[in-house]
Amino acid sequence: MKVSVHLHTTLQKVSPTGPVRELEVELAEGATLNDLIALLKLEINDEHTLCVVQGQIAERTQILSDKDIVHFIPAISGGGFPGNAGI
Amino acid sequence: MQVWRVNVRTKMLVRESVPAAWEHLGGRGLLARIMVDEVPGTCEPLGRFNKLIFAPGLLVGHMLSSCDRISVGGKSPLTRGIKEANAGGTTGLHLAYLGIKALIIEDQPEEKQLWLLHLSKDGIQFMPADDIAGLGVYEAAEKLRSRFGDKVAIALIGTAGEQRLAAAGIQNLDKDRVPSRIAARGGLGAVMGSKGLKAIILDTQGTDKPPIVDPAAFRLAQKAFTKSLMEHPQTKVYADYGTAAMTRMANGFGGLPTRNFSSGQFEEADRISGEFLRQVILERGGEGEPTHACMPGCTIRCSNNYADSKGTSLVSPLEYETIGLMGSNLGIGDLDTIARLNRQVNDQGLDSIEIGASLGVAVEAGLMKFGDGERAYDLLMEIRKDTPLGRIIGNGAVTTGKVFGVLRVPAVKGQAMSAYEPRAIKGTGVTYATSPQGADHTSGLTIRAKVNHLDPKGQADLSRGTQINMAGYDTLGACIFAGFGFAAAPETIRDLLNARYGWSVGADILQVLGKESLKLEREFNRLAGFTQADDRLPEYMNHEPLPPFGPVFDVSDEDLDGVFNW
Repeated sequence: MKVSVHLHTTLQKVSPTGPVRELEVELAEGATLNDLIALLKLEINDEHTLCVVQGQIAERTQILSDKDIVHFIPAISGGGFPGNAGI
Repeated sequence: MQVWRVNVRTKMLVRESVPAAWEHLGGRGLLARIMVDEVPGTCEPLGRFNKLIFAPGLLVGHMLSSCDRISVGGKSPLTRGIKEANAGGTTGLHLAYLGIKALIIEDQPEEKQLWLLHLSKDGIQFMPADDIAGLGVYEAAEKLRSRFGDKVAIALIGTAGEQRLAAAGIQNLDKDRVPSRIAARGGLGAVMGSKGLKAIILDTQGTDKPPIVDPAAFRLAQKAFTKSLMEHPQTKVYADYGTAAMTRMANGFGGLPTRNFSSGQFEEADRISGEFLRQVILERGGEGEPTHACMPGCTIRCSNNYADSKGTSLVSPLEYETIGLMGSNLGIGDLDTIARLNRQVNDQGLDSIEIGASLGVAVEAGLMKFGDGERAYDLLMEIRKDTPLGRIIGNGAVTTGKVFGVLRVPAVKGQAMSAYEPRAIKGTGVTYATSPQGADHTSGLTIRAKVNHLDPKGQADLSRGTQINMAGYDTLGACIFAGFGFAAAPETIRDLLNARYGWSVGADILQVLGKESLKLEREFNRLAGFTQADDRLPEYMNHEPLPPFGPVFDVSDEDLDGVFNW
C-alpha cells in the first residue's frame, strides 16, 4: 500500500535540491505509524510532536491504510494551552 | 504608577493614583475593570461616553522575553461589546517607563481637527496633526519619526481609523520602528479616530526603569523563565518558520479556512506555508529576514520580513492569520500577492483578519472571484477611496454579508473568525462562540491539544482552560508564545509578580487573573445587552458539512452555556 507523508517544519528532509516535505511511501499491509517512522528515520518526540492521520490525531500503534495521508507535526500552539503543565 | 486621564475636549490631563481595586490588574484585566467601572455598557462606541484605554500588562517594562505587550481597549464599534486588542512593539515598554498603568482617553473634541497627543514625564501636549492627516501609517510614522526622533514610541491610526471604519486598528512601532504591530481587532482605530487622535507619541526621556521590589528574586525568576522558553522545542519552530508554520498544520487537520470557509483544505497550502515562506525569504536575500523580533528582548523572534524578488521588503511581518484569511480564504496561493495585500491593509491601518473575511464574503456576493489578487487589491483601494463599496467592506464581514445578502458569514458577535475552521477544530469553535471578545485568534485556540478535534465532547472544558489562561497572559502583557515557557515553568509567573510588586500571590495566579478578567468582560457585555443567544456560531456551520472530512459544528448549546461555570 501507499501512503502520502507530510513532514512539517523541523522534520523536513534535506536534499541536494532543497527541503523535501511531501513524499509517497510504499508500506507492507498492516504497517503502523511506528513502522513508517522507523522507515523514514524520523526523530519523533512524543510529547511535542503530533501525528495526524486523515485529519485526526493518531497513536503510533495505529495501523495505516492504503492512500492514508499522514502528517508529522512538531507541535506549535497557535496560542492555546490546555493545561498548565508540560504543554 | 499612575492613571493618566486625558480629556480630548478640554485637552487637559489629570494624573491620579491607582485605585486599590485596579492595583493587582494590568493589560486586558485592567481594561475590563475600567470599562465596567466607568463606561456605560449601552454607550455609542464612537460617541463621547466611550473611552479608549491603553494599559501595559503587569510584567511589562523589564524586557522580560516576549512580555512587553500593550493592551488597548474600549467598547468595540464592530462587536458593540467589550474589546481588548494587544500588540507587541515598543508602546507598552514606553508607557511603563512613564509610570503609566492606564492611559484613559475620554470624551470627544468639538472641532473636526485631528491631533497628535504627546506624552512625556512633564505631562501632555496636543499638537495639530494636519501634516499627517489622511496619510497611511508608513508615511505618517516616517514623518513623526523625523520630527520626534528615533527614541519615541508611537501608536497611530491609518486612513481607516480616520474614516471610523469598524475594521480599523491601532498600529505601534516595532523595535526597528516599523509601524506594523497592530492592535487590530474590533475597530479600536475607529474609536481613536473618534477621539480626534491620529497618533500618540511617547517620549521617555528622563524617565527611569519601573521599580522592582526584590530585584534579586526577579532576576532569578527571569532566568528560570528564559531558560524554560529557550529550551522549549516550539521556540526554534517559531524562530525559523514563524506563525506561518500553522498553515500546513491547520491544513492537515482539515481546518484551514479556504474559499470563504467552504473547505478546510487548500490545494495550494504548501505555496503559502511557513516552510515555503522561509525558503523564499532565504533565496531572495536582501532585506528579507526569516527571523525577527517585534519587541526588544524577545528571544523567540517569530516575526519576519518578507522581501520581493529583488530583495526589497514588501511587508513585515507576514503572519499566519493574514495568510489564512487573505490567502486560502480567498483562494490565493501566492505569497507575493498576499504580501502586497497585507502591505496595503497595514498602510490603511486595517485588521487583515476582518478584511480577509469581508473579501471572502464579497466573493460570494459576486464582487470578485476566488484567486483574483488584482481584484482583491482593487477592493482594498475602494476602502481607501472611501467609496460606498469600500465603506461596506471596511466595516467588516457581517456588514458586507448583510448588505449583499450573503448568509455564509464566518463571524461571532460581529467579529470575523481567525484562520481556524471551527467545524474541524471544535474547541476553537467553542472559544469563537463564547469569548466575550467575539471570534478571536488570541482568546483560546485549541489546535495544539492532543484530542480528537472532531468529537464534540470535552471541547467546552478544553476551551474553558485555554480561555482562562489566555485572559491571564493578556493581563500579564505576555505574548501568546511566552506561554509555552510559562507553561513549562508555571511557578515563574508567581515569582516574577511577587518580586516585581512585593505581593504574595499563589501558584494559581494566572488562572485567578484570567477568571477575573473574563468575569468582568462578561459583565460589561451583559450591561451592553448580550445574552446566551450571542454565544453561538453562524447557523450554517451547524448543518453544512465541511470538506474534506465532513464535520459540522455539533457542540451542544448546554456545553456552550456552561463554559464559564468554573
